[in-house]
Amino acid sequence: DPEKYKFRTMRQNLSDAADVLDMQIEIIAEIVQNHYKLSASEFGDPTIQAQSEIHAVGRIVPESPSDESVNTESLALETSRMAGIGRRVRLNLTDVNEVSLFLGQIVAVKGKNADGDSFKATEFLPLPYPESPVSTADEIQTHQKALNGDPLKVTVITGPFTSNDSFDFSHLTNFVERLNTEIKPHALIMFGPLIDVTHPMIAAGTLPHFPHLKSQPQTLDDLFLKVMAPILKNIRSNIQVILIPSTRDALSKHAAYPQDSLDRKALQLPKNFKCFANPATFQLNEVFFGCSNVDTFKDIKEMPKGGNTSMRDRFDRVSEHILQQRRYYPVFPGGITKKLLPNTEGGNKVYEHISGADLDVPYLGLTEFVGNFTPDIILIPSEMNHFAKVEQNVIMINPGRFVKPWGHQGTYADISISAPDLDNGKLTKIEGPEPVYLHNVWKRARVDIANI
Amino acid sequence: GSGINGLQPLESTIPDTERFKDAANLKLNCPNCSATFDFGGIVASNYYSMSYNGLQCKKCEHLFAPLQINSQLERSIRSHISLYYAGWLQCDDPTCGNVTRQISVFGKRCLNDGCTGVMRYRYSDKKLYNQLLYFDSLFNCEKNKNCELKPLYHTGDRDFPQEKLNESSIKALTEQNRNLFESNRSVVQKYLSDCARRYVDMGSIFDFMQQR
Repeated sequence: DPEKYKFRTMRQNLSDAADVLDMQIEIIAEIVQNHYKLSASEFGDPTIQAQSEIHAVGRIVPESPSDESVNTESLALETSRMAGIGRRVRLNLTDVNEVSLFLGQIVAVKGKNADGDSFKATEFLPLPYPESPVSTADEIQTHQKALNGDPLKVTVITGPFTSNDSFDFSHLTNFVERLNTEIKPHALIMFGPLIDVTHPMIAAGTLPHFPHLKSQPQTLDDLFLKVMAPILKNIRSNIQVILIPSTRDALSKHAAYPQDSLDRKALQLPKNFKCFANPATFQLNEVFFGCSNVDTFKDIKEMPKGGNTSMRDRFDRVSEHILQQRRYYPVFPGGITKKLLPNTEGGNKVYEHISGADLDVPYLGLTEFVGNFTPDIILIPSEMNHFAKVEQNVIMINPGRFVKPWGHQGTYADISISAPDLDNGKLTKIEGPEPVYLHNVWKRARVDIANI
Repeated sequence: GSGINGLQPLESTIPDTERFKDAANLKLNCPNCSATFDFGGIVASNYYSMSYNGLQCKKCEHLFAPLQINSQLERSIRSHISLYYAGWLQCDDPTCGNVTRQISVFGKRCLNDGCTGVMRYRYSDKKLYNQLLYFDSLFNCEKNKNCELKPLYHTGDRDFPQEKLNESSIKALTEQNRNLFESNRSVVQKYLSDCARRYVDMGSIFDFMQQR
């Protein structure tokens, strides 16, 4: 519901934030109890001494509240208000061979608190993956007809769209030309920042004079209207463009995540542009897309324990965490970017705050998977290396940024999904009063990450 | 508060000097010579002057284009909002003083063992709102003309300006820069319009009248 993202910002209430953090533990506790068919009596309070082994669900937190750099030796488990009056207990992981943890993660763990001081874990119960979406035969046939048997083509690009030392949009101009004449997708998904408020030239005020303009832009919004919008307007009107903002977008006054959509009319963009919230879940034909524009892949500072866990690809582990936590950004507290300032006062390091995940905690419910099922394709742009991979039958993509910081060509993602066909055996039928079909997009899609 | 001593003056009746005493200055960088200085409206400064054609750096005489001011102003506002959303909390018990971004599922409870202090946002929404209002005041023509702005410097400061501006030139300069100031102000107003603190939640005030 896009209306829910229209809340006003800059007023977080600590009690509301705490309610949401408590609820997150309770929601997962219920999922775990149902999935593993445990009775309520098998759960206990891990913060108090007990003779017997119990199950507990809680949040992974640092042992010391002021500690931001943690490892598997210095973690604690936070209980919900109901399970352990919100107390935290040190986690002893000596008996656990393989596990991957991060701050903010909700976990289900089996173990014993023998001495009252720490909870000795014996086993982490993997959280069940959410279900995949389905469609009816009628819906599938409608989508098949609409495509005329051709594959559905979706292109994905992620800002920033200029280098760190210019406001030259020629890469974008050239790309729009290729989009119209060569790539010709059905849809273009475009992630912000369109105008990046952390751009070094914006901070220094060294924006150039634009010689081709009759009147110079006065504000950053004006800069978009006069310099960037004219380029975007050249995208052919039969290409549907979906804009997802970033909290670093100068064009958004809603500088918090979850984030309200941009205003298409204010940006003076034509009707083939659709502005969606951040995060957003939507359908193109039968395919469910989940889009979130906070850098989860960078910010999950995950702590693997055990040889088998550490050997796996980090993006695989992080992708599984996102699916298990059922939220696009399960890290808490959210990541921050700061810069060390040259002047140190009395030996103390002084930092300048640059940006961050900017979580509006009371509204984090809006960042959970919609309807408790997983999208077919999850797009989460990241500063880390671009990738496309299949994880638990979900396609996870980081298209990589469009222009590299020093002006080199960046990358984009090209997704091609064969039209759904009830007869070719690629859709899985689920029997019932009215049979429905799994989309199996991971079997039907091809993703290329290419240079712009 | 309870009783007459707990009464607080209306926010709008507090003079700006008092209201903005904790607000951070607006720092500007000269795009031409990289001199950085605090901008405090049309007031005397050793570093900049308001000319009839806009803001001018005293070191290199560069005349700022409106976008060169507005981009820095907007970036500055966004840094404040982002710092607010970093969500740093502080314990109000001075013997504890715990500073953290951890939030207990009982929000106000301090996470240090046995501490009975109350946790609060270190960068409160009130402070952020006042910060935005301060930036807004700098480009408010009426406040500039009436010399109601919070002073940048006090007598004895190293940077205390040598020259003073007289009232009639402030009035004339304000009028000459009205268009510029209106564009500067629109940048601040964009964020003030989204600031929930500005809007009173009637629902919660009249909560007690609802039938249960």
